[in-house]
Amino acid sequence: MATTKTPKQNPAVGTAIWVDDRLGSSNFLKRSLNKVFPDHWSFMLGEVALYSFIVLLLSGTYLSLFFDGSSREVIYNGSYTPLKGIPMSAAYASTLDISFDVRGGLIMRQIHHWAALLFMASIVVHLMRVYFTGAFRKPRELNWLLGVGLLTLGLVEGFAGYSLPDDLLSGTGVRIAASIALSIPVIGTWAQFLVFGGEYPGGHIIERLYPIHILLVPGIILALIGAHLALVWYQKHTQFAGPGRTEHNVVGSKVYPAYSAKAGGFFFLVFAVMAALGGLAQINPIWLYGPYDPSQVTAGSQPDWYIGFLDGSTRLMPNWELRALGHTFSPNVMVPTVVLPGILFTLLALYPFLEAKLTGDKGYHNILDRPRDKPVRTALGTMSITFYLVLLLAGGNDIIASIFHLSINEITYTLRAALFILPPIAYVVTKRFCLSLQRADDDLLHHGIESGTIRRLPSGEFVEETFGVPYVYTTLLATTEERREAIEHQHHEPVTAVRARSHGKGFFRARGRVIEESAEEPPQLETTTD
Amino acid sequence: MSSIRDRLTSSPEPEPEDSAPGFAEHDTRSAGGSGAAESDPVAVSHHGANADTKRAELAVSGLFLLAALGAVGFIATYIAWPFKYGESGYQYYTPMLGITMTLALVGVGAGAVLWAKTLMIDEETVQERHHLNSDPEDRAGAAAVLKQGAEESGLMKHPILRRSFLLSQAALAVLPIPLLFGLGHFQHKERALAKTGWKKGSRLLDELGRPVKMGDLDVGGVKSVFPDVPGGRRMADSAALLIRMRPDQLKTTKNRENWVVEGHIVYSVICTHLGCPVKLYEQQTHHLFCPCHQSTFDAANGAKVLFGPAARNLPQLAITVDADGYFVARDDFYEPVGPSYWERKPSYKEPTYDGTAL
Repeated sequence: MATTKTPKQNPAVGTAIWVDDRLGSSNFLKRSLNKVFPDHWSFMLGEVALYSFIVLLLSGTYLSLFFDGSSREVIYNGSYTPLKGIPMSAAYASTLDISFDVRGGLIMRQIHHWAALLFMASIVVHLMRVYFTGAFRKPRELNWLLGVGLLTLGLVEGFAGYSLPDDLLSGTGVRIAASIALSIPVIGTWAQFLVFGGEYPGGHIIERLYPIHILLVPGIILALIGAHLALVWYQKHTQFAGPGRTEHNVVGSKVYPAYSAKAGGFFFLVFAVMAALGGLAQINPIWLYGPYDPSQVTAGSQPDWYIGFLDGSTRLMPNWELRALGHTFSPNVMVPTVVLPGILFTLLALYPFLEAKLTGDKGYHNILDRPRDKPVRTALGTMSITFYLVLLLAGGNDIIASIFHLSINEITYTLRAALFILPPIAYVVTKRFCLSLQRADDDLLHHGIESGTIRRLPSGEFVEETFGVPYVYTTLLATTEERREAIEHQHHEPVTAVRARSHGKGFFRARGRVIEESAEEPPQLETTTD
Repeated sequence: MSSIRDRLTSSPEPEPEDSAPGFAEHDTRSAGGSGAAESDPVAVSHHGANADTKRAELAVSGLFLLAALGAVGFIATYIAWPFKYGESGYQYYTPMLGITMTLALVGVGAGAVLWAKTLMIDEETVQERHHLNSDPEDRAGAAAVLKQGAEESGLMKHPILRRSFLLSQAALAVLPIPLLFGLGHFQHKERALAKTGWKKGSRLLDELGRPVKMGDLDVGGVKSVFPDVPGGRRMADSAALLIRMRPDQLKTTKNRENWVVEGHIVYSVICTHLGCPVKLYEQQTHHLFCPCHQSTFDAANGAKVLFGPAARNLPQLAITVDADGYFVARDDFYEPVGPSYWERKPSYKEPTYDGTAL
């Protein structure tokens, strides 16, 4: 960016100069546009979450223009004839209006709901990517905490939004939430009366959930996303091992123009998926459920998928309740709905610190692990996923029973056992798999590729002929210090050579050659520690 | 398009290790990016590159055009397509909006990605990471500033000041708590939780508000009943279920023989687990099933828990028949209905509870 004005500028440059005159922003702009981001398909998962959130903000704002977040009773008189003349809350009636009387209202509602499901799904998958590749290690523990916070807030936000239409299905969910609050020792009844304004239903819950859903929680989520991205930007993204990639550099594309064009295009593609789902795949047809009525419920009541694991834990819990010292304790409610998620989310948040403590690893890590290289972590991950999936399955035990004509009781007993038996099995199996894969890698590095040829030496000895593994492929395995040293030793050249070409192996990896930007010597491999 | 596919599918053979460092010397990839020919950039045919570029440009422009068409289609659908429930073709309104909107978004998105992949120069670049931790001098400096500030503030020197300052902070933290209490009506909290809308002599009303009398229900039948008080139909804790079975099928609990009337028995439907209405009645087995978490109760035997996470029986409502032959409640439920809570007692007696049935 030149600081002097030249007569014929393109408009973008003109604008940049205008801003620079006021903010001195050119250096920042230059550095930002030249910032390098590594590319890997798995790095898009977090992007999907971000883009879903943008779609949620856009569609949610539109919906809020028509939604009436009030539990005031009205008589429905809209165009959906089956419910005409029926008393219901203004919240439910306005949701019917959005669905039937507002042009384009239904597609916005459905896009909003699908985007919420996708938002939570992409957060969970992104979390798994970060976990299994060790991207949470120093210096990125803070961003892990922000991510756990976003996951938790996403659950709250989703549940609040799901409850707003005040239909029979979501009303049942709110009823359950109120009962869970009651089960908490000492403060339970106070908490429930405080949140609902009195004994359930209290008459205020829609009015209270509405500002929480459209202002408070999304505001916090937005701020946390900002911080999450700012940290990624400042600390620079992690990268997988590969030719020319070290702990001290980032190899990838510059933000401007190709990377931004791809990321921007990807936003529209994610949006397109949600538009297609919102237009073509019915979701949450509240007019079929009817308005909430505390004395009614439908068979097969299911929460949205992200709450499903808690519903499952509630279904699996034995009916333990005790009375002591003049008080009632309800482990049958508290354990699966309060204690269990409390423990799970605490462990999740603390994981980076626990791992660092137990492994004694205090170093900086910018090169991602391959899951097989960290067998215990990977095994813990699949163990947790197995535990989670059993709970999720249990949340649909009634659906499974009716589809497969099985006994609900037997399914429940089986899943109770599976909850304790399957995770350890998953742990052991995963760990063995990882160790075997690791050995295969080491074998490849030390032994080479089998040629299928056996040579007989003049001495009569038989030897197998092998090819050496090409340098660029060995670098992909250079995830540990020992491996890097071994590879360097083998190939007599430092892995830090930045001039190797990276071999595209997928849609987002096809690219040109590496050019050298820094004229300095490649940095030393020793990890910096404080 | 073909150039992308070439680049994707014809991943070139890995170079012999010696040749790897040779790349940065020539860096003349044309914008057309016929990237398959890295090993010898000079060999990139200009003719081929131009043709590729032209093809890519056409493909990208085609996608952008599709986006424009999609947007026009969306607007046309939005304005012209019938959308009101019941109008002919209204059921295609949302799908049509979805399809046109998807076309518009896919056009823009795929166009931009394709543009980036075929026409933009996208080279792998190396950037050094900066050290995240500061120099020891900076750290020491920051620590010194912190310490000096603490000293300058005098907080360390004046213990009374320090304590009173902490006290003021604690007081401010406590200040909003009373505001929270404005959010709920906590008066008679326990009474509200324990009592329902049922009163001595309340008739049992059906869903349409008609009183239920003997003979309305056949053996094996069930009916939702509500207390005969204003708003009783909507009371979240008062919904109950009247079940009729043959008197010999019904095991009456001790001391509760006169809580039932000729095989008619009433239970609260508010699940003792998490409060869902337990209304799925299986006539043959007399099981009441909660669809939320599958707690199962035996209606023929005091609504005892047979299965599931619920810990307590469904409370039974004592009923009798009034002079006109209508079912009436003998009193409110003997125990709090619905889910458990800390202050819950197994029975709730107010001074006015006359315990008719006990």
